[in-house]
This record gives sequence, structure tokens and C-alpha cells, in this order.
Amino acid sequence: MRKVWLVIKREYLTRIRSKAFIFTTIALPVFSAGIMIFSIMMATRESDHTLKIALLDDAGFSKIIAAGFTGKLKNGQPLFQLVRTIEQPQSDQKARDELADQVRRGVLDCYLVVPKGVLEGKAVEFHTQNPGDFQTAAAIRGAVDHAVISQRLSNRGVQVDNLSELVRGAGFTMVKIGKRGESQEEGQTFIVVFSLVMILYITLVVYGVATMRSVLEEKTTRVVEILASSARPFHLLAGKILGVAGVGFTQFLIWTITGVLISTYGRAIAAAVRPGASVPQFHIPLSLLIYALLFFLAGYFLYASLYAAVGAMVSSDEESQQVQMPVTLLIVVAFLLYPAVMRDPASKVSLVVSLIPFFSPILMVFRIGLQTPPFWQIALALALSVATTVGLVYVAAKIYRVGILMYGKRPSLVELLKWLKYT
Amino acid sequence: MDAVVLNGVTKRFDTLTAVSNLSLRIREGAVFGLLGPNGAGKTTSLRMIMRVLIPDEGSIQVLGEPVSERTQDRVGYLPEERGLYTKMKVREVLVFLGALKGLSESEAAQRAQSWLERLELAAWSEKKIQDLSKGMQQKVQFIATVIHKPPLLILDEPFAGLDPVNASLIKDIMLELREHGSTIILSTHRMEQVEMMCDAICLINKGCNVLNGELRAIKQSYGKNTLRIEYSGDGDFLEATGLIEKVNRFGAVVEARLRPGADPQEILKAALQRGVRISRFELVEPPLNDIFIEKVAGAHA
Repeated sequence: MRKVWLVIKREYLTRIRSKAFIFTTIALPVFSAGIMIFSIMMATRESDHTLKIALLDDAGFSKIIAAGFTGKLKNGQPLFQLVRTIEQPQSDQKARDELADQVRRGVLDCYLVVPKGVLEGKAVEFHTQNPGDFQTAAAIRGAVDHAVISQRLSNRGVQVDNLSELVRGAGFTMVKIGKRGESQEEGQTFIVVFSLVMILYITLVVYGVATMRSVLEEKTTRVVEILASSARPFHLLAGKILGVAGVGFTQFLIWTITGVLISTYGRAIAAAVRPGASVPQFHIPLSLLIYALLFFLAGYFLYASLYAAVGAMVSSDEESQQVQMPVTLLIVVAFLLYPAVMRDPASKVSLVVSLIPFFSPILMVFRIGLQTPPFWQIALALALSVATTVGLVYVAAKIYRVGILMYGKRPSLVELLKWLKYT
Repeated sequence: MDAVVLNGVTKRFDTLTAVSNLSLRIREGAVFGLLGPNGAGKTTSLRMIMRVLIPDEGSIQVLGEPVSERTQDRVGYLPEERGLYTKMKVREVLVFLGALKGLSESEAAQRAQSWLERLELAAWSEKKIQDLSKGMQQKVQFIATVIHKPPLLILDEPFAGLDPVNASLIKDIMLELREHGSTIILSTHRMEQVEMMCDAICLINKGCNVLNGELRAIKQSYGKNTLRIEYSGDGDFLEATGLIEKVNRFGAVVEARLRPGADPQEILKAALQRGVRISRFELVEPPLNDIFIEKVAGAHA
């Protein structure tokens, strides 16, 4: 056991001190926080100038629409300004060409075409150079909607002073029913669970591949023969997997702590960035974190032993890229199955895929986060994972002890099976 | 007592039998040469003594007990394919490998320091392995092999890639370790090194023991049947006598194997008749190189 410990220590210390580790550990939270702040700023951004709009009106709507353009900029200037109205033009096409030309020259920002049958459902056209600006489009659409609705009402003899008060919808709040109570929901459960599963996915792949590279590095530098003459291959493999696990665990811990901090102080950060912006309150249940940790460990040992076996099988980086594909694909498939589970976490399909040992580290955690399944399912998934892992570690150790001394041609599946029988 | 005993050891890889029913004894305190052509099963044998591989049949005893993890710690192994962790510092690598052989880390650090000083590498102890020259890496690897004062040393081509100064440094350390009672197994293709250093040898070919024993006894069994001659002038006289079985010309020196019963005086006479100037004329035992080639080529024929 002392030798296992020595191998763990070497693996852990050399990795944790590497620049790559320090960089990724710091970069990911900084990057995520950056994206969060950036998206809050973008989402609540306001135009900095009044939009000049022209209206090509075949329906006699211009006045009501113009009345709907009520938005104000920060400096008190109106958000929209109707600079030109063409009512029932001689030639529709000619008028359009002219307006489009003005938009191109910057005289106008955009123009609207209101067709004759608009009250009966004919579409209003919004011509703009930037169809991606959803906020402007939504504001204009709101004004047009209001105009159309109030016109329909007045056609039925209803006069309305304050239309927006009339057409305002009902409030709608989602409440998540959890194990211990209910909590208001604004989509944050999904965000939390998805981020957690994303971290799981990334760490499984990154540290699985790291284990493989580590095995391969000892093989290509040939130091492995000295190691094999100093300790049992199984101890070397165990030490390596545990050492890399320690590094992954450290990183996972740093990231989740950062995640908890961000979710706790997220409102304060958002408020500092953009006062008044609405940010949902995030909450990561402790039970979810513990389950995530357990499944991370089970999943890591499972995949790390597979990756280690791959590292022992091949003799070069290029080869390892090919041979690792099936293993990486398993994790990717697990991750890609999440929409199926998300739609109905309690369905049979969700149950089955989340019990498959190769998928459960990701999908069971996903289910637990969305809609905690009965305990027996979680326990069964964990038990299956652990059992599979034990079996795979045994097989991987056999492949490892033969593979580390084999150079040159990569073994075929038949040869691999023979390796398992070597004494 | 014997440092290593192999008893009917066989190791197969799939269809290939790398080592076949090999038995040999290595006397404690000896320098033992393990020889053989490429692919003869030398590395497989060494790996089994190191318990890197486990024999399919037969048994191996190392330092008086069956080979095990415990015996591993008492053996130092310098594999033919060298390699260390390139991104680790020299001192860290030595401490790690020393500790893996059972030293405490502080003890390993201390010994690493004194070895680095002895091999003039002290200034490099905090440098990464990859920053060292090939020769320096070889020396670091040698330190890793001997840092735990192993009673049994297994050295596979220990002088490969070393300049004469470093080679003689390593040779001196080897002899010094032997003085202190270590047994050394030397595997090499350099027959002159074997002749100078080894007490006993085992020549294996295709996994089988073809020649085994004390080096001196083996050579004596061939008798003084080889002429070592230095001369100037026409060299054809040797073959012309009809008394020579085989000639090996090295430029300045010629080694000629006599036919059984041939009289070396006849050859000297023939040389003088032809006016060849002889500066050395010596009757010796056959060089190991010839014995090697004979045994191996004989088996191939």
C-alpha cells in the first residue's frame, strides 16, 4: 500500500503544480462568470439612439401605430420616431425601393409595411438591416399589436383609453415540488442541474484522457519498465487512477465551491453590474451535490480504467486518439441523451438509460436534479456502476500489465482477449 | 550461496516461446554475463528475475527466496530501453524511484544528493530531466538503479551511449559495488567488456541455454588454439599454410584459428620464408567473440 501511496503522491503533486491545471481551474469559473455578466449586460442593453422609422400604410393605421411608439431612452429622448408616413402609395414597389434605399444610406433605421387586410390577419412586414435585434422587433411588434387590437375593438364599438392595461396577460409563476417542500421556479433548476452535469461531463472526459496520457507517457518514456520492476502493475495502475482522481476531485471541488458562491452572491454581482436587472435566485441542494460527487467518483473510476487500458494498449499519441474514440463516445452519448431525460425524468426510458453504468454518472445525476427519483433507483444505479467499475478495473489491470511492456503493433481484439489469459 | 537460481523456466507469448526450460545459477558476488543474439530471450529472462513477467513454468529464486515483491526491492534494474519522467526534476525522480524501492524519502533524498555529487551532476539536481543531455540522463538512471544499495544488480547494456570517461566512471562504481558484495548480471553484446569484467557467463539462443559456466573454464576448454599475430607485409601466408581454420583480420591484429593438431611453428616458418615481419606472435584461447559466433551460427546452420 505504501507504493500505491507513493504513486498517488507523485501523480497528484506533479499534476496539481502544472501550469495547465492552474490555468483551467481558474479559467473555467472566470470564463463562466464572465459569460454570465456579459449576457446580463447584453440582455438588458438599451439602444443608445432614437430609431427612425418609416411607415408604408395601406390600411390607414399610421396614427394609431404612431401612438403606440411610447418607449423612452435613458436620456429621455423617445425610443422610436416616425419620420415618414406614406399612405396608399401609387406604386407599392417603388415606395418600398425608396425606403430600403434610405435605410441603406442611414437616413432611416427601418420601415414597416401595413397591408390592407391587416385586421383579418394579413402580416405586417418589418424591414430592417438587423433581424437579430429581437428587442427592437418585439417593441415594434407590441406597438403594431396594440394598434390592430384597438382598431378591432373600436370597429365593434368599444372605445379604450388604456389598451395596454386591458390586454395585459395574467401573471404566471412555476413552483417546483421538491422532496421537502416547494420553491419558486424561474428555470434555475434546469440551469443548476445542467451546469453540474456539464462539469461532470467535462471532468470525466478531461481526467479520463489525462489518465490515458499518463499511462502512455510512462510507456513512451520507457520509465514504465523501472516502475514495473519496483511495484506490482495493479498497484501502479491503482495509484495512477487514484492520483489523477485526486486532481479531478480537487478541481471539481474548487469549481462547485465557486458555483455555490456565484449562486449565493449572484444577485449581488448582477446588481452591481446592472442595477435593477432581474436575476433568479439559484439554489443547489446539498443532497444533489453529494450524489453528484458519488456518481462522479463511480464514473471516474469506470472511465479512467477504460482510458488507462487504452493508454497501455497503444504506443503513440496518434494511436491513442483512434483507440480512445469508443470510450469518449460513451460519455458523449450519455451527455447527448439528456433531452430525452429532461422531457420526462420519470419515464421508463429515463429510468433505463440512467441505470446503464456507463451513462448513470451523468444521467442519474441529471434525473436527481430535475425530479428526484425513488431512492432505490439511485442506489441501484450506484451499485451497478460500482460493480461494473470493479469488473472493468480487473480487466484494465490485466490489459495494463501486459500492454505496458508491448510496443509496436496495436493489439487486435483477439490478441487483447489473449492478454487477459496471460499469467 | 547463489544469488539467482532459475529452475526449468519457460515463458511463452502466444505462439512464441521466448524462454524454454532455462536453468542456471548465478554465484553470489560474481559478475555474470548474460549473452545471446537479438531476440534470444535475454530481456524476457531478466524481466522474470525482476518479476516484471511471471514464468509459465519453472521457478526462480532471487537472493535465497522465491521471487516476489520483496525481492524486487533488493534488486536494481537498468533496462536496455532507458527512460525517466522527462518533466520531473532530477532530485524528484531519484527520490520517487528510491522510495519505490523501499527507502524513506529523506534517506532517498540524502543518497541522491551524494550520488549526484559523485557523478558530477549536483548542479543539475533541480533541473528537469528533459533539460539534461543524453549522457547525463544515463547517469541519473544509473543512480536510480543503485540508490537503494541492491545486493543484486541487473544491467542491460550499461555503457551504451556513454563516452569513455563516463563509461569508466560507471565501470569503477560497478566494481566497487562488487567489492561490497553485490552480484551483478551484465547483459551486453560487447564481448570485450564481458571478457574484461565477467567471472561467469551464460549464452542463450532461441530461449535455450547453449553455454554456461565460469568464463575461464569455458575458454580453457577450447585450449590455446588461436594465434594472435601482428605483422607487416603480405598476409596471404596464413591461408597458404593450410593449417588455418578461420582468420579474423582487425587491421593491425590478426586472429587465426588453428586446425586441430596444427603446429604453430610451421606458420611462423612460412611467415619468415615469405619475408613477413612479425612484431607479435602469441598462442591464446579463442576470443569470446568467436565462441559466441560459433555457438550461435552453429545453431542456425
